Amino acid sequence: MHGPLGYVGKRLLWTLPTLLLVGFTVFVMVRLIPGDPALVILGDAATPDQIAGLKAQYGLDRPILVQFGLWLGRLAQGDLGVAITDGQPVLPLLWERFQVTAAIVFLAVGLAVLIAVPAGLLAAWKQNSGLDIAVVTTATLLLSIPSFWLGLILLLVFGLKLGWVPVIGYVPFGQSPTQALLYILLPVVTLTLIEAGVLTRMARASAIEVLRLEYVMHARAKGLRERRVLLRHVLPNAFAPTWTVIGLVLGNLLGGIAVLETVFTLPGLGRLLVDAIFARDYPVVQGCLLFTALIYVLVNLIVDLCYPLFDPRVAAS
Amino acid sequence: MTRKLIAALAVALSLPAGAAVAQQDTLRLRLNADIRSTDPGLNRDANTDAVVLHMVEGLVAYREDASVAPMLAKSVEVSPDGRTYTFALRDGVSFHNGAPLTADDVLFAWKRYTTPANNWRCLPEVDGRGLTKVVDVAAKDAKTVVFTLEKPSALFLTLLARTDCGGTGIYHRASLDADGKWKEPVGTGPFKLAEWKRAQYIDLVRNDAYTALPGERDGHAGNKAPLVPKLRFVIIPDASAAKAALLSGGIDINPDIVNADIAEYKARKDLTLQTKQAMDIQAVLFQTRDPLLKDARLRRAIAMSLDVPQIVETITEGESKPSLSIIPVPSGFYGQAQAQMPKRDVAGAKKLLAEAGYKGETIKLLATKRYPSLFDFAVLTQAMAQEAGLRIEIEVLDWATLLDRYTKGDYQAMAFTYSSRLDPSLSFEMISGDKDKQPRKVWDNAEARELMTRSMEVTDKAQRQAIFDELEARFRADMPMIVLYSSVETSAARSNVQGYAGWALGQPRAWGVSLKPGS
Repeated sequence: MHGPLGYVGKRLLWTLPTLLLVGFTVFVMVRLIPGDPALVILGDAATPDQIAGLKAQYGLDRPILVQFGLWLGRLAQGDLGVAITDGQPVLPLLWERFQVTAAIVFLAVGLAVLIAVPAGLLAAWKQNSGLDIAVVTTATLLLSIPSFWLGLILLLVFGLKLGWVPVIGYVPFGQSPTQALLYILLPVVTLTLIEAGVLTRMARASAIEVLRLEYVMHARAKGLRERRVLLRHVLPNAFAPTWTVIGLVLGNLLGGIAVLETVFTLPGLGRLLVDAIFARDYPVVQGCLLFTALIYVLVNLIVDLCYPLFDPRVAAS
Repeated sequence: MTRKLIAALAVALSLPAGAAVAQQDTLRLRLNADIRSTDPGLNRDANTDAVVLHMVEGLVAYREDASVAPMLAKSVEVSPDGRTYTFALRDGVSFHNGAPLTADDVLFAWKRYTTPANNWRCLPEVDGRGLTKVVDVAAKDAKTVVFTLEKPSALFLTLLARTDCGGTGIYHRASLDADGKWKEPVGTGPFKLAEWKRAQYIDLVRNDAYTALPGERDGHAGNKAPLVPKLRFVIIPDASAAKAALLSGGIDINPDIVNADIAEYKARKDLTLQTKQAMDIQAVLFQTRDPLLKDARLRRAIAMSLDVPQIVETITEGESKPSLSIIPVPSGFYGQAQAQMPKRDVAGAKKLLAEAGYKGETIKLLATKRYPSLFDFAVLTQAMAQEAGLRIEIEVLDWATLLDRYTKGDYQAMAFTYSSRLDPSLSFEMISGDKDKQPRKVWDNAEARELMTRSMEVTDKAQRQAIFDELEARFRADMPMIVLYSSVETSAARSNVQGYAGWALGQPRAWGVSLKPGS
């Protein structure tokens, strides 16, 4: 098959060996970490009998290759197993937690783009001016602040001192969109500010490069108004590299924003992964990382497929 | 239109914190992690026990002082040979589904507990591998159950009350689905399960048909009347987020305050602070088979180099009592022998080190930051021991790795915390044993093991005390570990909460607690 569909099919096919490699690596690595899920569950009073019993119950007493083979067999049927700590099926668990993370990440990255792209473009347009320095300084400051610190400060000011928003909890959008927004407001703002810092710098750098190109000079020489030059000629070309960064940022964040989810007590994918690592809950760790890898691959595929919208040369090639 | 939109947004945003989920009739308590299940004593941890024991009750339960009292039983008779326990069930007790409590229900729950495939936490203690062997359980009549043991045990009732055994809670068969799988607890407790939203909260509602015992609240026993209509355990792993939630009114009670916040909370008028000494053990363990530390003189020298009261004062903000005994301070068996606290003796430590031929070899002390106190006292131990010429190097591991190394006995020295043991026999049992069979055991002393076994069979308190005093002396002479203290459980409640009290087990209890009207 040729054309875009063939390209998508080929890319998806290529993800299979990648995911298999990720799966195997994760499977082995997670078992190489010292620590035993049976011990974490049973605690300091665990007897050898009890440890052996629990390991047998979850098949952890079998050779690692046998365990991997069984896991792979179940995976082929869409079954990621059950969590050792609470017996929940992993796949629905991942999906439930992913929705929380995705809601925050998409909102935050969307807002960050809306802030960063115009800010970067303006800063580039007014390079070395007071505005440029202000934008660059703010962006550098934002991307240098640790997310947990910013989150805690926002939580203390707007949640605790002013009492405008709840400091803990989560309400799904399906239950109440207004409440859902209220509960994720602070994490979204935190993430937006931090990601806006990253994207602003990228957008500015790309725009500066484009502004130096001859066709921009030509457009100006034709007598086009600056607004039209910027929006029609500079923005589309400058946005393409920023779009790539957006893809990378989305891929990274959708894998979990563990620190923010912990600070704001959100039941997201990142917190699930961290808790699972501490509990040595192998099926959940494996599921989370495989899921994250899949998301990363898919997001990058979507980014690649959208690229021709901003840069027709890519479509031609 | 714009004005209407702004007004609507203003209304939405001006809702008080947590308004969507918490009404004024809901008491909200923090949990630092999600529960593992609602199945008593099976897939569990301390949080699971705390929540589940609001819904199910056992035949007996722990009192405030860690002794055992009847709960669903109105009386317990022990035969003269100590092998037969006859439990007469209370009248008028019903399950959450309205069914009356009968002896048949006790047999049903017991059978499920003792089915090996279910992995009940305490099965090894009743099937002959541990404390005792229950050879028969029978219903004498609809309201009487008789347990027969292979041999007498001083700890049988304690075992039934243990929180990690799920209090051996009695539940109705409706707790299981048609396939025999656990559904939810249909118990006799003061609260019923409403909703468990994983990683977020567990909602319980009042059991309006609950028949409370007369008198006062007493540990997990006594009067357990539910006073609030709804109860929400809110899962907040992060201590800073929990603090913000408490101060902003997002939760009403945080049963687990970090020591560093105690002074700040004490100064606030909108909070009530309570501190209770728990029954866990914080200690520095030694590997007595280590080429260096197998010499008891070296272990004693380390102990002599430490100013234990100073360490405990620093770590617990003066809230906990230092103690070198494996028997926790709140225990009824904590006497003069256990309370002895020799003064720091750096010169004596140096002398002992010289006698042992110590030449400045490095001792690796494992610690974790999962429980900050473990890292803190590891650092203080390192600093104080250095004054006696000891070289201690700290290695920080995550909790799961530390637990793994502990279980394998793979360490030289380790900062460790043991969970609560409410009977001294169990305290000694947790550290004492044959290292060849169980490498996690810290104290491998055959004579001590014999004494410990005897303490489990003798029921007379004075005789048991004498045994524990003897064990204490041997323990200090061998010094397989340096016990420092039992942690303090500090809870904070907002001023709208009435009747909340912490206790030695540290687990939150919501019965007997109410919210002030209008709060």
